[in-house]
Formats: sequence, C-alpha cells, structure tokens
Amino acid sequence: MIIHVTYLSGYLAAIISSIIISAILGLPLTPERPARHSWTPSAIFPTPVIALGLTAISIKLGVTGIYGADLGAVAGVLSAIMTAYFLEDIFPRPEDS
Amino acid sequence: MNELVGVAAAAAISWLNFVVIDTWMGLPEKPGVRGADYIGRDIEKRGGDLAGGFFQGNLVCSPDASAGTLLGAIGCYLMGVPEGGLVAALLVFIGNRLCADPGYAGTLGALSITVIIALASLAGMSPGLFVAGMVIAITTIQGVSHSRSSRLLGAIARRMDRYTDLK
Repeated sequence: MIIHVTYLSGYLAAIISSIIISAILGLPLTPERPARHSWTPSAIFPTPVIALGLTAISIKLGVTGIYGADLGAVAGVLSAIMTAYFLEDIFPRPEDS
Repeated sequence: MNELVGVAAAAAISWLNFVVIDTWMGLPEKPGVRGADYIGRDIEKRGGDLAGGFFQGNLVCSPDASAGTLLGAIGCYLMGVPEGGLVAALLVFIGNRLCADPGYAGTLGALSITVIIALASLAGMSPGLFVAGMVIAITTIQGVSHSRSSRLLGAIARRMDRYTDLK
C-alpha cells in the first residue's frame, strides 16, 4: 500500500476546511442527540464525507491541485456550501422524521 | 498469505465491522421504512427475534454498514486505497439519502473498512479478499437462516443496549 503524502495532505485539508467553513456558514458542529437518528446536517457529518469523496474523485480524474492541499481546501469549501444551502433540497428528509 | 485463510479472516473482520456499526447505529431499534417493518415482523413470526428482524429488514431496505463495507472494499479493489473507499462512502451516503436513511451507518462502514483494508495490507491482505469475505459475511446474516441469525443479532443488540422497544 502506498498513500502519496501530497494526497494525504489533500484529504486532511478537505476535512479541516469543510468543518471550518460549514461552522462559519452556520451549521451546528454536531448533530443533536441521539445523533444516529438525526437528520440535521452538521459540520462533522456529512460535510467531511462529501469533501473527501470530491477530493478522491478529483485525484482519480488526474486533478491533483498545485500543492495537494489546495485541492482539498477547495473541495472542503464546495462541500460546506453544498451541505449548508443545497443538501436538504437535493435529498429532502422524510416527512415523518 | 494463503488465499483461503485470507478470505476467512477478511470475512470475520467484515462481519464484525458491519454488525457492530449497524447495531451501534440503531438498526435493531426500529424499522427505517415500512418494508423493514414487514420483514422484521415476518421473521419474528417464523421463530426469529423482532430486533434482529428489524436489523435484517433495514439491511435490505437501505445501504447500511453492510453495503458500506462491501462497496468500500470494491472501491479499494478497483481504485486503490484510500480513493476507492472515500468515493464509495460518498456514493453510499447519496444512496442512504435516497432511501430515507440519515446515512451514518453506511458511510461509517465504508470509511472504517477503508482504514481496515489499509492496515490489513501491511499484513499482505488485498482488497479483493475483503470483497469475497464480505459476500460470505452477509450470506451468514441474510442467506442461511433468518430465524437463527435474527436471534444472534437480537442478542448482540441487547448486549449493546440497542434492543427495540416496539412490540
């Protein structure tokens, strides 16, 4: 197994930037308890998952950024904006939740 | 590593991964959709356990940690570690949302198996072993005996304080 350090810094940047930006955009840091039944988008879920997925897709498509971390930071910002403003419109929660 | 030993070890690891995460995330507590309710009660009628039945019904009706574990392993097999697992986690999350599920169990399953595959590669285990192992693991839950496996899942749910309150 070889994980390239440049890519690893990209993933770390994606996690950190997605959490910070989504908190700035007003998302709660954590879902309300019990978290396993919560539909509330938060800074720790699903924002970093989307950011990591976008970063991985970009890397596999050959888009690796200049320093690696810049790609992750951009993916984090995009995922935070998507989670804060579009997630519940694209994937609405069930009516009885 | 001998391939058969590797598949057996991967099956055991995958089984623990998805059963523990799914139970922790409350799959035995209640059915997420009406179909899971029907499956759980049907399994109970056939001598199974209601909480274990809800677990099995929820597995069928939305991509939970079982699907996350399988798709994470397939992703790592096809695209490498960790890219494949991370793409799988994103796709499982989208699938969860389409199936009226918040998505915690599925994404956590995909992310955890990615970490496990990365660590197991140090012991010479390839992602392909985990694909085969996960198919065997899910067969022991969904494909051999619903009543027996639901009773086992119910006992695990009781131990982890996730047993259903529904009657």
